[in-house]
Amino acid sequence: MSTKVKIIERKGDSLAEKLYLIEVFKGMATTFGHFIRNFLDNSKLYIRHYPEVQPEIPARWRGRHRLTTHEDGSMKCVACYMCQTNCPAKCISIDAGERFDGRTEKMPVKFEIDLLECIYCGYCVEACPMDAIRMDTGIFSVTGNDRSQFVMTLSDLLATKGAFTEEEYKKGGA
Amino acid sequence: MSQLDILLIVLRVAFGALVPLCFIAVLVWMERRGCAFIQDRSGPNRCNIFGFRAAGLVQNLADAVKLLTKEDVIPAHIRHKFYFVLAPVIVFAVGLISFAAVPFADTLVINGKQYLMQAIPTDLGILWFLAIVGFSVYGIILAGWSSHNKYGMLGGLRSAAQVISYEIPMGLALISLLVVYGTVNLTEIAQFQGKLLFGFIPMWGVVLQPLGAIIFITAAFAEANRVPFDLAEGESEIVAGFHVEYSAMKFAMFFMGEYVAMFTSSAIIVTLFFGGFQIPWFPTETLVNNSRVVTFLLMLLLPVFALLFAGWISKNNRSHYPRENDPRVREANIYIKILWGVVIALELVLFMFLIGGSGGTSARILAVCLQIVTFLVKVTLMCFVYVWVRWTLPRFRYDQLQRLGWQTLIPLSLLNIFVTSAVVIALS
Repeated sequence: MSTKVKIIERKGDSLAEKLYLIEVFKGMATTFGHFIRNFLDNSKLYIRHYPEVQPEIPARWRGRHRLTTHEDGSMKCVACYMCQTNCPAKCISIDAGERFDGRTEKMPVKFEIDLLECIYCGYCVEACPMDAIRMDTGIFSVTGNDRSQFVMTLSDLLATKGAFTEEEYKKGGA
Repeated sequence: MSQLDILLIVLRVAFGALVPLCFIAVLVWMERRGCAFIQDRSGPNRCNIFGFRAAGLVQNLADAVKLLTKEDVIPAHIRHKFYFVLAPVIVFAVGLISFAAVPFADTLVINGKQYLMQAIPTDLGILWFLAIVGFSVYGIILAGWSSHNKYGMLGGLRSAAQVISYEIPMGLALISLLVVYGTVNLTEIAQFQGKLLFGFIPMWGVVLQPLGAIIFITAAFAEANRVPFDLAEGESEIVAGFHVEYSAMKFAMFFMGEYVAMFTSSAIIVTLFFGGFQIPWFPTETLVNNSRVVTFLLMLLLPVFALLFAGWISKNNRSHYPRENDPRVREANIYIKILWGVVIALELVLFMFLIGGSGGTSARILAVCLQIVTFLVKVTLMCFVYVWVRWTLPRFRYDQLQRLGWQTLIPLSLLNIFVTSAVVIALS
């Protein structure tokens, strides 16, 4: 097996380059070009005016988690512990309880995700057999004043809505 | 001493002490916004007071408040607390004092009495600068040593070695310059540069001594510890170098000291090589003798510049996203009103000068004001070069720095002395 070797030409040995000054002025001309362009018209800056202009979040973006529901509003989660077992960061903690609405036998009575532990790998979403946990909320900025605010409880997770339609989400490969 | 003497002393000392301090704010702002523009970013532009952002200058106030209210830590392992506190004071004070001998306008003659326009009216000139500015490295070495920290110590040692290698080419470049000017007095040096070469080129130091200018400016960059010679800090290899143990206002003193040093060395470079306070093609005597023409020209030029500036403000001070009742446009309108107010006030003053006082004294005061403005504009441009170079060039490696100093700059500056002396002797 022969690998292709590309030999990069070594620069900096010619007299003009060893004088430094010529290359220095070339570099300064480049930076000054950028400076004067942006100075004369600052709409040409490559920036997003962030809090006012939000970035576009694609459907495959792994944002904050949510728990999905059936059409009648009952939760899809059956407390099988697959996500908790799979979680490499060990940020999910579930307590299972008995379920009386006739769909299955079990449902979570406690479902907490510690967002300070979470590494947003998406393994919980992949592991879930019921499509009950998704990361399609499009929320990328998670802030809070103390640690307890970063622990998402069952009601928090159920209250968050998805940011995309079912087709868009499915197109993402889920 | 008459009242006039006392007034002039107060004015000159106030200028020498307060202008570098004011320039700290301007330079920090220029560095942050300038580097942002060079890198196609926008830099700090959100800080405001009642919606007035002053192009981002308000950020400096926020930074100052933050640094003043931070906890001022002196680590417990530091034994020499006095030297630890003394070090930033030395760095800051040296920058401020070395500006004292730089003339910011030509000698003012009132009632036949001459007033040197320097904070300290001394003839020492460049010798004063060389004597004082060498001390700033003591502050850095002291900081590195008293921090009792490996990184601090390395930073201090690097700085010491760097100063030894770069003071020599700096001094040698100055010698060839002094051979040309024939004086060490900075006011006389600046007056010398008011003449014209071949009748149309201003006889600036950079024209007479191009090689000397390059060597001196390079050495001045090293002296001010700026990129590409900021080995004493070297963020990538020794964290922050000599000021790694400093926090809060003591760190701020180092930070401000760097900018004062930058201002002072810009002022020296401008005085030695770029004509100092001289307006090209308008030496002091021309200004004084044709004061009415100069005033009239100023009255014509002022509104033109104001118009361009106002256009630039209204073009750039607006939100670049859809926004109802854009507050930035309102802000820009107020700036433009203030600008025109200032222009009208200046025009009135100039008009009063045109019809009323045109005597010798007021013409001389006008010339001094114009020269102060010229000097500050030149220094600001030179400071911009410092910022510009910092955000263009990468840092030298330590051995490259020493090789450049000893093997390139010193032989070149010696050669420069020989050539200059030969030419001066041949011409005289």
